[in-house]
Amino acid sequence: MTLPSRPNASTVADRLAEIVGERHVLSRQSELLVYNSDGLPGYRRQPSLAVFPGNREQTVAVVRLLAREGLPFVPRGAGTGLSGGALANDIVVIGLHRLKEIISLDVPNRRATVEPGVVNLRLNKHVAPHGLLYAPDPSSEAACTIGGNVAENAGGPHCLKYGVTLNHVLAMTVLLPSGEVVELGSKVGERDGYDLRGSFIGSEGCFGIALDITVKLTPKPPTVRTLLADFMSVDGAARVTSAIIASGIVPAALEFMDGPTIRVVESSIYAAGYPKDAEAILLIELDGLESGVNADLETVRHICLEGGARNVKVARDDIERMKLWQGRKKAFGAMGRLAPHLIVQDAVIPRTKLPEILETIHAISEKYGVVVCNVFHAGDGNLHPNIAYSADDPAESERVHKAMTEIMRACIDAGGSITGEHGVGLDKMGYMEAIFSDNSLNAMCELRGVFDPERRSNPGKVIPVHACKEWHAVPGTRGATGLRSRIDAGVPEPLSAEPARPSAQ
Amino acid sequence: MTTQDVVSAVRESVATRTPLRITGRSNWLDAGRPVRAGKTLSLRDDSGVVSYVPGDLTLTVRAGTTLAEIERVTLEHDQWLPLDPYGSSDGTIGATIATASAGPLASGFGLPRDLLLGLEFVNGRGEIVRAGGKVVKNVAGFDLSRLLTGSWGTLGVITELTLRLYARPRADRSFVVSLRGEQAKALAHAAYTAISPYAFQLVSASVARALGLGAHPACLVRLGGNEAVVAEQLIVLSQIAPTKEIEPHTWTALRELDVNADSVVRISNVPIQFLGASASILAEDIPGVYTCIDPRRGVLRIVVARNGQEGDDDTVAGGTSVEFGTDNGRSSEVIFEKLPADVWVRVSPSVVADSLSLGIRKAYDPHDILNPGILGD
Repeated sequence: MTLPSRPNASTVADRLAEIVGERHVLSRQSELLVYNSDGLPGYRRQPSLAVFPGNREQTVAVVRLLAREGLPFVPRGAGTGLSGGALANDIVVIGLHRLKEIISLDVPNRRATVEPGVVNLRLNKHVAPHGLLYAPDPSSEAACTIGGNVAENAGGPHCLKYGVTLNHVLAMTVLLPSGEVVELGSKVGERDGYDLRGSFIGSEGCFGIALDITVKLTPKPPTVRTLLADFMSVDGAARVTSAIIASGIVPAALEFMDGPTIRVVESSIYAAGYPKDAEAILLIELDGLESGVNADLETVRHICLEGGARNVKVARDDIERMKLWQGRKKAFGAMGRLAPHLIVQDAVIPRTKLPEILETIHAISEKYGVVVCNVFHAGDGNLHPNIAYSADDPAESERVHKAMTEIMRACIDAGGSITGEHGVGLDKMGYMEAIFSDNSLNAMCELRGVFDPERRSNPGKVIPVHACKEWHAVPGTRGATGLRSRIDAGVPEPLSAEPARPSAQ
Repeated sequence: MTTQDVVSAVRESVATRTPLRITGRSNWLDAGRPVRAGKTLSLRDDSGVVSYVPGDLTLTVRAGTTLAEIERVTLEHDQWLPLDPYGSSDGTIGATIATASAGPLASGFGLPRDLLLGLEFVNGRGEIVRAGGKVVKNVAGFDLSRLLTGSWGTLGVITELTLRLYARPRADRSFVVSLRGEQAKALAHAAYTAISPYAFQLVSASVARALGLGAHPACLVRLGGNEAVVAEQLIVLSQIAPTKEIEPHTWTALRELDVNADSVVRISNVPIQFLGASASILAEDIPGVYTCIDPRRGVLRIVVARNGQEGDDDTVAGGTSVEFGTDNGRSSEVIFEKLPADVWVRVSPSVVADSLSLGIRKAYDPHDILNPGILGD
């Protein structure tokens, strides 16, 4: 692999240090190790440099310097992503975690403007005294940043009722890879013209960097009730999920955990009191005005019991409620007890296919002799089958990856999507051609090309480079000389061809 | 008519350099928009359900399917698409999404972009592009569905759409309050803070008269969910003013005021601005000028009836300078939905003048054949 960015890396590092200060530029390999993976440790890529601007002006200056040099870069928030999207293959990482100011809070109009490095939980703590919350609640909310949420169009359990990041972002100030600063959306109201705001959200760092983000805040619901229903069959829980949705009730969240997941969680420090002998549990949350919630609660309880639930327990207070949620939100963490590495998928299937797909996943896990844990957003049909394994065991890695590929194939065949909230990144790029035609991928490339004509921001992610017609038609005619080879150097092999790399630890 | 027919039509237009006027059932042709086109491509005949699995609460239809047809099909399964754009229900879903048209239900169910899961379109080179998918949550690839929503046909001819449906609520009731004094403010405040209505509109006396709801400004509210939640919200409202139940058809009549309008202006601002200013905005009673405020959505619509006494562009211009009591430095966003043809050129600046929008337009319609001029470009 040729690494054209390497020869002048030291001079670029010096000039970046002039902008952000020496201690905010990392260039030693040992220092950069921390940035060589994200929340999906099977992928490792070593950046050439990491730079951490301390404010908006420094961020603009850094990006303009890289633009002048024609150097590609990867924007990074907290690195909690689950798609390998924040990895930089021998190019510059721009860490945005120091941009963490809550710029303004408008309580009466329920909106806040924040810098991209603000952590979800911090925003929520800041607005909670005003009876408000920021609705998207990815399970990594204690660490992940709003900028990262925007890049991935993050969801979370409560997006079943409240919607994903896209539904909560009103406007952004965006730094384009060229160094130009533009305003997208409107902080005030509705605007006509193309929905550039909507296009930017979920662009996985390929369209630029959001310098500030104006989000909608949601009033805290007056009443919240959480139910735990346990089942002796996976199928029963899957059917009850469909029945609840079909009843017209929109739960705030409807989460599913299968037997293997329950037992891992219950043997961890996150034990939530889930029945260990159950084959599946549903965690169902209802919120809104009190009398309405209570009526829905009775309907849901009835549907669960009719559908074969063994018990339906309603959390008595907030402490009990938080405990039930803690087990769910920390489930991936608990998997660490099983093996050092975890692979997790994010496919979405039509809800009616849930019983069938869960059966298929079970058959695939038996075929390959792996333990698949299922913990997911059942109300949306957003699956998270995950397998804990040791990447140091090549034979096991291969079986795990074959099983995961087969599971993804089954979800695609069921009419589903390859990702509901984690993003494509590196991890799912190999599947993009399975769900989109050449023309559709090319249309996405063209959109990216408008925001980032030189394809320097997070190169080699989301869309396989060979899917971009225009890129082939005029190689090397845009941007800096040799850019093509630099970008291709950032392109990974698709997942199916990439056995997980051994852990560096 | 099929997608392939649309491909052929677009390719022929490219070959002959004949710009196309893309239409559904032609409802927007009277919006006066300055389109430079040599030929019309109507999606009217490209209609029907492609797939509908009620259990998934998703529906895939061809773009020419009317909203009325979608309502009929989904009602059979006790479901609905809560999208009720102003105007007539014989409009097509393709045009509704292409124009991002919403109605009173946007208050409770969001904008068209929130109900769209995926679509198929033919770009200006005659290529078929699919975006999004058929599932309710999806982040695979860059979001072209949002991009096409509200693009007014200028980036592609929408041929097929997948929409998110909802189960019909057990209770769905509508009420009117005839407004006196400060009630508008109190009701708007309650709608914003204490209840979650499906729809909530403060309307001028002219609207109330047109709907047969008396001679005063009025508040129309639609409450849904289970019986208990409707009753609880009704109590909140009734403590402010007496409510009277109305027929659901009233909403249709309200939306249809647009049918005979020749100017429609939508002004939006932060919700708080409307809580304070609603009463004074509604106080102005001009026959033939219909004013509706959705304080939750932060939107004021001014509809000027064709042949209305004041139906000239002075009224339109007057509408755009609505004064909000306190100026917090944020000027309102103004969207012109319909204007007399001769007024467009004077009042509507291009909404695709920035370099990103121009770049996208150029990429998706390089030959400038899809509705050129419709966005003031």
